[in-house]
Parts: sequence; structure tokens; C-alpha cells
Amino acid sequence: MKKNTLITIALLLIVLSFSLFSVPVFAAGPTDDLRPTLDGIVNIITNPDYAGADKKELRRKHIMEVTKRGFDFATMSKLVLGKTYRKLDAEQKKHFEELFTKLLENAYIGKLEAYTNQVTIYKGEQIKGKKAEVRTHVENNGITLPVSYIMLQNDTGWQVYDIKIEGVRLLRNYKAQFKSILRKDKFEGLVKVLEKKNASLTKEGNS
Amino acid sequence: MKYFIHILLLFLLTACAGNMVQDDTAATVSDNQGAANVDAGIDDVLIDDDFDELDDFDDFGGDAADLPSYSDPLEPMNRMFFTFNDKLYYWILKPVSNVYSDVLPFDIRLSIGNFVNNIAAPIRLLNNLLQWKLEESGIVVSRFVINSTLGVYGFGDPALREFGLEPKPEDFGQTLGVWGVPEGVYFCWPILGPSNVRDTVGFAVDVYTHPMVYYVEEFSVSAGYYVESRVNLLSLNPDVYEDLKKYSLDPYISMRQVYLDYRRGKIDDKLVLNKTDNQL
Repeated sequence: MKKNTLITIALLLIVLSFSLFSVPVFAAGPTDDLRPTLDGIVNIITNPDYAGADKKELRRKHIMEVTKRGFDFATMSKLVLGKTYRKLDAEQKKHFEELFTKLLENAYIGKLEAYTNQVTIYKGEQIKGKKAEVRTHVENNGITLPVSYIMLQNDTGWQVYDIKIEGVRLLRNYKAQFKSILRKDKFEGLVKVLEKKNASLTKEGNS
Repeated sequence: MKYFIHILLLFLLTACAGNMVQDDTAATVSDNQGAANVDAGIDDVLIDDDFDELDDFDDFGGDAADLPSYSDPLEPMNRMFFTFNDKLYYWILKPVSNVYSDVLPFDIRLSIGNFVNNIAAPIRLLNNLLQWKLEESGIVVSRFVINSTLGVYGFGDPALREFGLEPKPEDFGQTLGVWGVPEGVYFCWPILGPSNVRDTVGFAVDVYTHPMVYYVEEFSVSAGYYVESRVNLLSLNPDVYEDLKKYSLDPYISMRQVYLDYRRGKIDDKLVLNKTDNQL
């Protein structure tokens, strides 16, 4: 009898502590939401088991699995195309999202991969409504690469929708380029250019 | 007339070794510049909806932002010069810079960079004062005094390392921007690289306010000094241009965007990147 009461109290305490600990998770800020994703990416990049050009495919696969949890590639694709996006059918949207995700993978992960001893240092966050910027420094053997993450709050929490590497905003920069290509060559032309670029970047990394 | 030719030549030579110098550098974000949006008509179909709204994120406490507007009516000519500069980079600049890097160790090149930056302190002081940035002006003076003495003629940067005094770079193009002078049309100058009307004027003034022009009468010495300083800067930042090319689908547009964002960010002082003067 007495033993049962003790167990009940113990169980209650456990349940209570869980619910207490889970509170901050719901109220997590952009940095808290970004941290697990970045930690995951860095862990794979700095893991010797994944090092080297011959492991690139496997490494990228794992990195992208982690990245996709914290990055909102669907929103990125939508934003980078602007109005053109709405004229596309479901299949075209999906195809474009794949291509653009691949391009960002090459530009962002490709850049980070060079820093195999990297440590991420969080330099602060700024929140404005549903948008936030988290500033980080990637430090690697005395070299500092400033990377900022522009994030958007949605139902699942904060997700990245733009990356600023050394001050250059990837999404913004690609948007300007896409706009010019779309004007001349329409969506089909853009898809061709993207496919070509991805192919050359993939090839270069493997050689 | 003689002075005019001097300036023009210096102007060309300055950028000779690094048309990236103030260009495709670290950029930041901020919109809302007064440039005419000539693109609006053509791009009507592509006008952004939700992106605008998301985009104004950066303007904490600033004005509501539009999608960055720009004026590039000379695009066909600019593209031609862009291609020319690209060839110049791969055929001349890069080989020269590579040899230079092989000959001189990194530390030496860094010290040369420090020296070059230290000498240019009067430009920074003048422009900080013209923008009424008194605290920054004080830091510029302190940095100059500390680095010229403790830093042994400016070859070291103890002001940053020991005293935590970060560089406060300001040029006349920025001053004009702060004063409200509009950017004018975008240029991609042959040899010089990306610029606009405002920055071109600003650059010419900077060349003229550089102490080197007054210290040394001999033109070739000044010119050589400039070329050396630019090659040195490039040798410390070898990947900047090549990364831009590698990851872009249209390098011309990409560089234009980087340049506009970078310069606008500098003028708005929203740039929180703490870089040293030796970094592009």
C-alpha cells in the first residue's frame, strides 16, 4: 500500500517534470529552433567518417535530411519565383523546388563543407513579428565566415527562408538573377539553366 | 588638365588590380534607395507579392521597404565590360596575384595591407567628419596614432588587437549617399568594375584626398603604390570573385545585386559585419 503510493507519487512527479520541461519547447525562439539543425549539419561536416570527395553523395544526403527540417525550401521556391510561381502546375512547382533546393545545397552546404573544423558561434538574434534574423560566425582555424539566417515563424516553429553568407543574401541574389532569366527565356529557360548549373556544380565537387 | 589626366589614370590604375575591391564584397541588405525603377514596366508581370512583405524584415526601425530598385539602362554596354573584366581577371590579375602570394607569406601581405590602410586614414577621418560621425572620427584618429607608433608605421594593427578599436571605413561615395545624393545609373566600368554615378564621383574624390598624392610628386610611384595595394588586397581574398561566378546563373546580375546591396548597406550603416580592413 505504502509502496504503491510512493510509486504513484514518483510517476506523478515524472509526468509533471515532463510537462514543465516541455513548456520552453513551445516558446522556443529562432536561435533555439535553428540550433539543432545547424548542430546536425556541423556534426556531419566535421565527422571524419563522412570526409572526402568520395563520400560526398552520402554526406550530402544526410546533411540535407537534417537541413530540410530547419529550412523551408517550399517557401523559398515560392518567394524566389514571385508571381511566376502561381502560374505553374503542381508538377512544375515540384520540379522547380527540387532544382532550387539542389542549387542552395550547392551554394550553402558547398561553402560550409570547406570548413571541416568549424565551430558555430551565435552572435545574437533579432525578431520582428513573424520574421527573425539569427547571426552566426562559422570559425575554422582562425578564419571567420559570417553567416546569418533569416527565419520565418510558422505552425511548426521557426524555419529558415534566406541565408546571408558574408552579407550576400542567397535568396535575394538568386531572385534578381531568375527575374532576368525569366524575362528573356521564360520558365522553361530557367529550368534549363538551373539543371546545367547543378550538373556542373555536382561534377566539380566530385572530381 | 594635367591634374585631370592624373586623376583619370590613378582612377583606372587603382582598380586595376582588383575590380572587386569595393564591389562584390560582403554585402548587407537594405532597400529603399532613391534610384529610378526603370525595370518596373518590363517586370510588371513578375512583380513580387509576398516577397516584398517578407523582405522588409531587415528594416528594423527603418522605412517600409520596396523590392530593391535599381537603374541599369546601360546593361548591354555594362555586360560587355563585365566580360572584359572577367577576362582581365583570369588572364592577368589572377596569375599576378598567385605569383605575388607565392613570393610573399600571408603575414607579410597582411602587414602590407595594414600599412596601406593606415596611410589612407585621412580619407576615413574626412568622411566620418563630413557625415558628422564624431565618435567614429575619434576612433579613426586613435587607430592612426596607435598603429603608426605601437604598430610600427602601421604594419601591425594593435589598435584592433589590443584596444579593440575596429576600423571605421567611410568613403566619399558613402558621404554623398548620407547627404541624400541619389545613386544614379549603374555602371560596370572596364577595369574598375561595378559602380554607379554617385560612387564614381566619390571614388575620384577619394583618390584626390589620398595622402599618397601629396607625399610623392612622381606619378609613377603613386600609381605603382595603388596597383600594389590592390594586388595585395586581392591576394588576401582570392575566392571572392570566383565564388560569385561559381554559384551564380548570371554572374553579371549577381554582382550587380551584391554591389547595390553592399553599398546601400554601408550607407545605412546596418552592416554589422565586423570585418577588418584587409577583408573583401
